[in-house]
Amino acid sequence: MSIRESLVSGRLYGYRRGLFESLSKRWVFVALTVVPALAVFVFVNLFPMMWAFAAAFFEVGAFQPTWEWTGLENFRLVLNDSRFWDSLRLSIVFAVGSVTLQVIAGTALALLLNRSFSFKRVVRAIALLPYIVPTAVLSFVALWMGNARYGIINQLLVQVGLIQEPLAWYGSLDLAMPSVIVTSSWKFTIFVTIIVLARLQSIPPSIYEAATVSGASKLDRFVDITLPNLKGVLFIVVLLRGVWMFNKYDIIYILTNGGPQNQTMIASIYAYRTAFSDFNLGRAAAVSTLLFMLLIGAAIVYFHYFEPSQEVRVE
Amino acid sequence: MSGSTPNTPMEFWYNLPYESRQNVYNWMLNLVLAIGLVIVLFPIYWMLATSFIPPTELFSVPNPLVPTNVTLESYTAVLDTDVLLWYRNTVIFAGGVVTLTTVAATLGGYGLARLDIPYKKTFARVILFGYMFPPILLSIPMFIFWRQIGIINSLPGVILAQTATTLPFSLWLMWQFFQTVPYSYEESSRVIGSSRFQAFYEIALPLAKPGMIAVAIFSFAIAWGAYTIPSILLTNSSNWVLTLGLYSFTQAESVLWGQIMAASTLLVLPTFFFVYYLQKYILRGFQATRI
Repeated sequence: MSIRESLVSGRLYGYRRGLFESLSKRWVFVALTVVPALAVFVFVNLFPMMWAFAAAFFEVGAFQPTWEWTGLENFRLVLNDSRFWDSLRLSIVFAVGSVTLQVIAGTALALLLNRSFSFKRVVRAIALLPYIVPTAVLSFVALWMGNARYGIINQLLVQVGLIQEPLAWYGSLDLAMPSVIVTSSWKFTIFVTIIVLARLQSIPPSIYEAATVSGASKLDRFVDITLPNLKGVLFIVVLLRGVWMFNKYDIIYILTNGGPQNQTMIASIYAYRTAFSDFNLGRAAAVSTLLFMLLIGAAIVYFHYFEPSQEVRVE
Repeated sequence: MSGSTPNTPMEFWYNLPYESRQNVYNWMLNLVLAIGLVIVLFPIYWMLATSFIPPTELFSVPNPLVPTNVTLESYTAVLDTDVLLWYRNTVIFAGGVVTLTTVAATLGGYGLARLDIPYKKTFARVILFGYMFPPILLSIPMFIFWRQIGIINSLPGVILAQTATTLPFSLWLMWQFFQTVPYSYEESSRVIGSSRFQAFYEIALPLAKPGMIAVAIFSFAIAWGAYTIPSILLTNSSNWVLTLGLYSFTQAESVLWGQIMAASTLLVLPTFFFVYYLQKYILRGFQATRI
């Protein structure tokens, strides 16, 4: 908003009255309110990030207090490490797999919940439960349910006859990644559901009524009204969830810790190991920096399609 | 079509009245929904069931779907450990994150909505970028930096660190909320003689209450189950939150599943009471942000 526009709309409170003093006073009060948030942002986001960028150029051991300049050596080591590239590939497999599952299941669940049926409130509350079950709890429950010898999943599947003998869901080379994908989707599907449901509820029912009156079938209404309305929101959800799943850490750390034989060692686990198993903080910082650059790419795409300063609708 | 006797299942189907067909559709969808709900509920049920089964019976296969010998053995065993301490830490930790996030986001959101500064849009993008930033990428730099300045392994430190993951989105949400409150409301109250602070406190704040509740619930959901940042910044077990404490029940050769499930139940239980609010406010919050 230019000064001229401000004058017309009177948003710059002091200006219109020509009271520069009150303008600056207002500015001080308003600016002070931003200070706590700004302080947290600078101290907890900005400083550590800058520190990490700097540390990437040094040799920083976990037990040594001094940093030793090594230039681009850390980056060279990381980029020449085949495990790094493997971990990137696995991150993509994990992200694409789990986001696909989440978006399909999440959208389906949202569509199912958006109809009218009995006990709607209770059912919706139940559907939201995974959102508040801590990831650590979910991981341990999943480990227990998928236990090779005593797990309830093996027991049920054997009883039904789907499998002949118990399987090591998180411990076998072929099954580990699919199991981890399915387990993480159990929790994060609900994120998709919540956002899609919110969007669905904001579609005016009158549009559907008008379409019904003019003879559109259930399928027509879905294809012509529901899907176009969901397109934008699904794009954002895929992007956000993609970035988050790409960088997921806790659930995989507890379920498999990157194993068996590094089959689930995604990039975040690789970064963690570099820092806390190899005790090489400088190289870990280099890994963080590289992943951070990837993230910036995603962010640019995100903000290209998503305008944060859109007008807001409040009920 | 009308009048003829149906020969194939398809003909029979299309000869049914419209309402019956709709009913069948509806019941099929209800069935799918019911299967979905079973998938949602079963892990939670199995956690509860396991916590009440005598630990010695856990390793008998097959396990009955409904526990026969209900016992509190796992719970008494869990209470003998540091669980209550970790629980207290979790409460302090989550409480701290929620308070810090809500206060900083509300004040900051108000300020941003009322300030006329250039590049506000760019600033919004930088803020929202923090929302996309994954905890693991944040925590390694944080570990390096905080070890350097020596505030590692403290609850206030980890509260501050976790707030970095909840504040960006919350700040942006509150900013959006305050933008819907016209400044003229506060201006009129200034005219009749209230102070700047009163105008904020008595006019703007009550109108932003739904947003504040959404922010509080959002940050609570994240902080209560937080694992990554505490696991990297809290090394001393007396400072652990309960999510980290769960790991102490896994031992070299055996895992104490009964105790893990009992501790998990204790951790999850209070959050169940928030579900009703979650449903209402989370939906409303997301709707308002128009993501």
